[in-house]
Amino acid sequence: MSEFRLEAVVNGRKIRRTAKPSQRLLDFLRDDLNLTGNKEGCGAGECGTCSVFVDGVLMKSCLLPVAKAQGARIDSIESLAPTGELTVLQKAFHKAGASQCGYCIPGMVMAATAALRANPFADREEIKERLGGNICRCTGYQKIFDAVELARDVQNGRLPATALLETDTTDGEVIGRNVRRIDAPGKVSGRLKYAGDMTMPGMLHVQVLRSPHPHARIVSIDTSAAEAMEGVEAVITSKDVPGQDGFGVFVHDQPVMARDKVRYVGEAVAAVAAEDLATARRALGAIKVVYAPLPAVFDPVEAMRVGAPVVHDYAPDNITKHIPIRVGDVDAGFAASDLVVEEHYSTQAIEHAYLEPEAGLAYVDHDDVVTVVSPSQNITHHRHMLARIVARPVSKVRFIMSPVGGGFGGKEDMIYQGMLALLAMKTMRPVRLVFTREESIVATAKRHPSRTTLRMGVMADGRIRAVSLRMICDGGAYGLSTEGVMRKAAILGAGPYVIPNLRVDTYGIYTNNTPSGAFRSFGALQTQFATESHLDIVAERLGLDPFEIRRINAMRDGASTHTRQTLGSVSLLRALDAAEQASGWEPGAPNVRGLARGDLGHDDVRPPVSLGTRFAPDSKQEAAE
Amino acid sequence: MARKRGRGMAACWYGIARTATVDRAAAWAEIDDGGSAKIVTGVTEIGEGILTVLAQVAAHEIGVKPEHVVIGDNDTARAPEAAHAGASRQTYMIGNVVALAAREARKRLVDCMAEMWDVAPESIGTGNGEIWADNTNHRITFGEAVASAKNRGVVPIGAATFGTDTTGLDGVDGAGRPWQAYVFGTQVAEVEVDTITGEVQVLAVWAAHDVGRAVNPQGVEGQIEGGVVQAIGQALMEDYQLEDGHTSTSGFAKYILPTSLDVPRVNSIIIEDPDPIGPLGVKGIGEPAMVPTIPAVMNAIYDAVGVRIFDLPATPEKILAALRAKARQDSLAIQAAE
Repeated sequence: MSEFRLEAVVNGRKIRRTAKPSQRLLDFLRDDLNLTGNKEGCGAGECGTCSVFVDGVLMKSCLLPVAKAQGARIDSIESLAPTGELTVLQKAFHKAGASQCGYCIPGMVMAATAALRANPFADREEIKERLGGNICRCTGYQKIFDAVELARDVQNGRLPATALLETDTTDGEVIGRNVRRIDAPGKVSGRLKYAGDMTMPGMLHVQVLRSPHPHARIVSIDTSAAEAMEGVEAVITSKDVPGQDGFGVFVHDQPVMARDKVRYVGEAVAAVAAEDLATARRALGAIKVVYAPLPAVFDPVEAMRVGAPVVHDYAPDNITKHIPIRVGDVDAGFAASDLVVEEHYSTQAIEHAYLEPEAGLAYVDHDDVVTVVSPSQNITHHRHMLARIVARPVSKVRFIMSPVGGGFGGKEDMIYQGMLALLAMKTMRPVRLVFTREESIVATAKRHPSRTTLRMGVMADGRIRAVSLRMICDGGAYGLSTEGVMRKAAILGAGPYVIPNLRVDTYGIYTNNTPSGAFRSFGALQTQFATESHLDIVAERLGLDPFEIRRINAMRDGASTHTRQTLGSVSLLRALDAAEQASGWEPGAPNVRGLARGDLGHDDVRPPVSLGTRFAPDSKQEAAE
Repeated sequence: MARKRGRGMAACWYGIARTATVDRAAAWAEIDDGGSAKIVTGVTEIGEGILTVLAQVAAHEIGVKPEHVVIGDNDTARAPEAAHAGASRQTYMIGNVVALAAREARKRLVDCMAEMWDVAPESIGTGNGEIWADNTNHRITFGEAVASAKNRGVVPIGAATFGTDTTGLDGVDGAGRPWQAYVFGTQVAEVEVDTITGEVQVLAVWAAHDVGRAVNPQGVEGQIEGGVVQAIGQALMEDYQLEDGHTSTSGFAKYILPTSLDVPRVNSIIIEDPDPIGPLGVKGIGEPAMVPTIPAVMNAIYDAVGVRIFDLPATPEKILAALRAKARQDSLAIQAAE
């Protein structure tokens, strides 16, 4: 289809532009009008960060063909604070600490603006429902609800405008005060530029060809047809890596692009830099890769068996890392216990789902410094690895950390920066790659799925005598952070309890699944889920309150940890007391006493959701007053 | 009653900064023209609020206002190494090193003013954008003090490095000193389980966490609230599924995340047990906030309906299957008793 003439009013200004029918409204705003405040988070209308007003109605601009804007009035996040003076709602987001990474915030501010326009007296439950189409991965939403309530009350005159001002620190006390976030104004206004919002003159667009096979030998890659295409500036494969081709947080087992074989679906095989995105995408289809599928292994327990397919030659047993901890004599401890309980626990792979998909720019500067701008959580280590990969001194490699639109560990891996650097070096032009949501989910690390067998021996009075904990984790196709995750899982897994006899073994295993990597709480989440579930099972058997069994076993000041480190102050008892008191916990053994409890439904508990029945019948009436 | 409520709790512990290795970070500080402070360190915001924390730390140490702190950062060619943004290490490692660098810059300015005013450096105070000498009428703004120092040929700068006294683990028994700062926490969850649909709603979480000294309590709450909700995602709904290495959950339509309607009221209780080693007493909160939530929710589900989920996530399907299995067992037990 041919280009067409688009006339609309965007942020109060009449525009007449040429648009392509293939564009979405979001692309038109971001790419053609450089209105990058609203972001792309999912491209499927699920996350809401692209939300704009179309003729005053909140719409997800990733779902709208640009032709729908013909003759319409479009308002993006930039329309709210055109002179830099924030709206009451934006100031309330600043004051309440409602923005963290900030990537969802432009859409969230638009949705909240719409909510208070629809009902200036909306209560917290109605606000929640009106924000239900916008995902935030950082805040847990609480401070966003606080912000909308604050803005509502200021707008309605129930609170003075001074409620939005900075915390007063003229007494000189700065620590321990709720100083407003210094980065919030740029986030609530959409002015902050993430890597995917940045452009450079002469910039090329990068796309990545990914493996369709979980395990296959690469017989051949023919890039000649792609390279011959008009607008294609470069195609790279592992042959273009001049130095040592490997990266990873602990073991450098992952090539920039698959070398000789692919180990998981979604692994990068080749990359293209072209004058525009559409050409780069078309060029991927012109790259011919011949694969010879290999037997694959998808289960970590099967991968540990003799004769299983080997994922990496250097690890013929497929073990990425095993971490042992040994204290005392576990078998004797179980024999001396009054009660021994064994259970099996498992946890699933989960996705970081930061709202900002991976993105980055690279260029070679005037001093021949290979420069990568990306939301990397570890620019120091990435610089070292990239210097080896491109065979240049560390001083000739530079990493700039762009604002990170959520990381949670998922941006610690140098999963795409190597390709960007190589393409910048090959073309001597700036290059940019922005992942789609699907690409981000398929190609990047997950939280380690785990299987734990936990055996605990206790005395009748609740004291733990012995624990054995064995966890097997699916590390997927590459090592990434697996070693560190296994270590933290092992050190912390048995919990902050005095355990005279302990045996812990954690195993990270290679498979042909999506790699597992760093994820907030890093192995300790998986093992402590098992231990803390188990303590309740044991407490029920012994008739002990769950706080009580933990107090009986709690590490105290000066305790020796499971790795025989002597601690100083131990705040566990304070934390137990504080949670017990704050929740008004009614003591008793955990024996399914929910029905009989007297401590439920306090003021600090939210009402349960029953969709569609929660709007207060008098809210319209109040608005009319 | 189709909907049943219950409560559960769980505790946790966590280590702050890199594990079983020596962690380190560096920073530069300058008290700049006009009386602002410039801090340069090689790491940036991933959303947790570190830039604001660093501004507060520098303001506290130097005596300028937090809004007069400028943070230049995030560039391996322009800033000293601060290593990575992770491991719940930012406030601990970068906060502490910025405090040390800011102290050195302040000392340089204070020494200069002491000489100029002919007073002992210890008698000089700073705060709220001003610098003064006790028991005198010397009191000027930081902007004036910086100008005076520069007239004497001094640029008030500081640089610092902060490292941990930690070791690796023994390969056989795991003995070692993986961290120098530990934190502890406890959470209580209240849930409602719909026994007809199997749906679990987490209505409230009380989260008590030791963070060392809290630099910005609102920021600490933000970390706790976000951590609790991410954990609820893993507890109840999120599931990256693979079949023979191919995912069936490659978009947000299939990969389900917690929305505003899924989240509990989070009641945070901040416990401050200061770290005795670092100059600030701070520790960390990013990761530990997530650790006790899942077992607290599973223990609460058990309290409500008597079924225990060992295999995450606790989807409605799994809850219903467990309720059916429990009903069969209960009726068998009754038959056996009869």
